[in-house]
Amino acid sequence: NIDPASLLPKLPRPEELKPFPTVCSTLFRGHEGRVRSLEIDPSGVWLASGGDDGTVRVWELLTGRQIWSAKISHDEAVNVVKWRPGKDAVILSAAAGEDIYLLVPPVVDPETDIVSRDLLDQGFGYATNSTQALTANGARKEPVAKWTRPGSRLEDEGVLLKITVRTTVKVISWHRRGDFFSTVSPTAQRSAVAIHTLSKHLTQIPFRRLPGIPQTVQFHPSRPLFFVATQRTIRSYDLQKQELVKIIQPGARWISSFDIHPGGDNLIVGSYDRRLLWHDLDLSTRPYKTLRFHHKAIRAVKYHKGGFPLFADASDDGSLQIFHGKVVSDLMENATIVPVKVLKGHKVKSALGVMDIDWHPREPWCVSAGADGTCRLWM
Amino acid sequence: MAKTTTLPTGHGQVQVYFTTNAPDIELPEEKRQLRVPTDVRRYGLSQILNSESMLDTSAPIPFDFLINGTFLRTTIDEYLVANGLSSETTLNLQYVRSLIPPLYEASFEHDDWVSSVDILSASSRAGKWAGQKVSPGQERILSASYDGLLRVWNKSGQTIATSASSSAGGHTSSIKSAKFISGTQIASSSLDRTVRLWKYTESEDGFSGELKPTLELYGHKGSIDSIDVHGPSNHIVTASADGSIGHWTSSKSSAPAAPSALLGPTSKRRKLTTSTSTPQRGPLSMISCHTAPATAAIFNPLDLTVAYSAAQDHTIRTIDLTTSTVVDTRTTSHPLLCLEALTGISTQLVAAGTSARHITLVDPRISVSSTQVMTLRGHTNKIVSLSSDPESNFGLVSGSHDGTCRVWDLRSSRQGTKDEGGGLVGEAVYVVERDGQKGATKRPVGGEGIKVFGVAWDKDVGIVSAGEDKMVQVNTGRGVTKSESS
Ligand SMILES: [Mg+2]
Repeated sequence: NIDPASLLPKLPRPEELKPFPTVCSTLFRGHEGRVRSLEIDPSGVWLASGGDDGTVRVWELLTGRQIWSAKISHDEAVNVVKWRPGKDAVILSAAAGEDIYLLVPPVVDPETDIVSRDLLDQGFGYATNSTQALTANGARKEPVAKWTRPGSRLEDEGVLLKITVRTTVKVISWHRRGDFFSTVSPTAQRSAVAIHTLSKHLTQIPFRRLPGIPQTVQFHPSRPLFFVATQRTIRSYDLQKQELVKIIQPGARWISSFDIHPGGDNLIVGSYDRRLLWHDLDLSTRPYKTLRFHHKAIRAVKYHKGGFPLFADASDDGSLQIFHGKVVSDLMENATIVPVKVLKGHKVKSALGVMDIDWHPREPWCVSAGADGTCRLWM
Repeated sequence: MAKTTTLPTGHGQVQVYFTTNAPDIELPEEKRQLRVPTDVRRYGLSQILNSESMLDTSAPIPFDFLINGTFLRTTIDEYLVANGLSSETTLNLQYVRSLIPPLYEASFEHDDWVSSVDILSASSRAGKWAGQKVSPGQERILSASYDGLLRVWNKSGQTIATSASSSAGGHTSSIKSAKFISGTQIASSSLDRTVRLWKYTESEDGFSGELKPTLELYGHKGSIDSIDVHGPSNHIVTASADGSIGHWTSSKSSAPAAPSALLGPTSKRRKLTTSTSTPQRGPLSMISCHTAPATAAIFNPLDLTVAYSAAQDHTIRTIDLTTSTVVDTRTTSHPLLCLEALTGISTQLVAAGTSARHITLVDPRISVSSTQVMTLRGHTNKIVSLSSDPESNFGLVSGSHDGTCRVWDLRSSRQGTKDEGGGLVGEAVYVVERDGQKGATKRPVGGEGIKVFGVAWDKDVGIVSAGEDKMVQVNTGRGVTKSESS
């Protein structure tokens, strides 16, 4: 006569898993139309955002004060903003349409400003035709990307470098060392995934053939591995050996996003078919846990990278959900996953809710970007 | 004693002994001891004291009651139960005149968010440092704004002076903090990573004035969010988002040269607009002691060779300014956003406002091992500014992104719940709303539009607060935590 409930693992109560964000602490208002993407800078002081109004904005994180803004496109949405990793320089990348911009917002001291500008400029010394190749008949191929200066209007505002690819860029993902970044243009077929080398102003297409339409990519946090998500699978590749390592099968119908745990052995996946999946990469190519808490698509998932066992997802239902997910070092034991908080406040506009999320680099604070035109800081 | 016997029966009674520090309202010895019903609260006790058989006051005086240094906020019965006391005990009730709410007086409108305020009065710190005594009615309010300008106001809300714009040697970005050094000198710190010193002069009639830049100080690599000054020694301390604490002198001749790498504009565009002749200098020392943005730096008011700093790295550090070394580090549980010294209390305390919506009181003396003394709870958003009551050792006002200032009386406390981590917990005695919120039933999410960024408490001018509503707001400050003549 064993009560079956007694056999279930006992989950700790959320109150025992503090700290995690519980309330909206700052609101960032200024964008016209949806905010598509946001990220807190490595120092934890600034928030960058980009949206449908074609602007990139930098805000003071704690006060919500807009410090800087640049309109980088008059007809295209800014789909993604990402800070270059590292504290040696301050460089923000943003993409609107087929153009990727690298910029130095005027929030830095003169020394850092020079270092940052030099990082953007050093590639001009390399042969500009290095991204070009000859076709079989000897004609010059159209380069996969053009690295140019964006013109004096933008350069005066700190927007210093433009990389133009063939179709709309939806994703930017930096390598931790800050010299490489990858972009995804889902409609670009063969050249959908590109890897750019900042120091050489070089763009390379690492895959001849992709087994589906790429959605998003990420560099492994410590090993030379590169992860590419198509609609249904995530493949990891060894960049040095140039070979496929693993095919991860979350079982979702359409992957929107994924994130690799800072420890490197676990991964979360979010999907448009409302699923959040946790993969233990040591364990299986199938998910260790499937979570269905949202009644609309999940658009973004993100681990905390600053030492807290937290992760979050963002959904078109207008909410973000915070989870406690502690990865244990014991190989035989799996992560304990506890939903701890649903954060509500973003209004759903035209069936879109929360578009993007990010965590603070040190504190258990997160930020969210909404289709309602606001960003929010949660503490 | 007839009074007590006529009170409703069916409740327990307890022996109390009334005491006070105010001679004018002292009871005769024979009336001090009394039996009162245990279900009575502050109001009932106040009525008893005012009654014919007791003080026999012509007009009722509202009283508050302290037991063992803590305000009675419950019935006596609940107090006895909470403290495990029997009703056989004799309770010592110290009565004080009730606190006076900090009533709204005026608002001064700005063009942009107001980040910081300071006050010049006969009783203010800078007023005492000033050569001439500030006469009543001639008090000045200094405001620092996100528009990059400083303004000096009189108490009627007239702008007497506005600082020079960026093209004329002013800050090139938002000002985060500003202080009077004296009646004629002001220091400010900015998002533009500089400290600027200003000469302040007024016309004879006191209705107009001038704020002229006299010195630019370079050395920080991030926004300088906090500045403190010491007039007599010309010394300045600053806290920056770059994680360091700056130690400076306002004396042009004794300040070191400015670090050339940090001079000058960061973009071509700005190079064209800033061409000034204001002298530029560097720090006496730059102490990189925090691992996250530093949010506050203050002089120890009792020893000006010592500064305290607070930061988002959760620490309060004690810095020996003569050697530029950190001599003590106190680690708390949360990012700290502001700091104030409470020197009036027998043991020296500092109060720090946190991002976690509470204020923590810490004893930073090196000899003390237990760090956290008390926690003040009630704000619903980050606490970014603190100022102590100039007239009471127990009073403190805080400014928060929840859009309120809260007044605390350290004698008003209770035992914290398990969820609060136990310890002594203080609750606000008054909540000061923004005047623009009058009639509003709910505060906006995230304090949007009403965040308070700065608050200062002066004996002559009152509680002056500033914020996102682009207003400097003045509330009365007398008797708020120190009852008259108690
Ligand atoms: Mg494992």
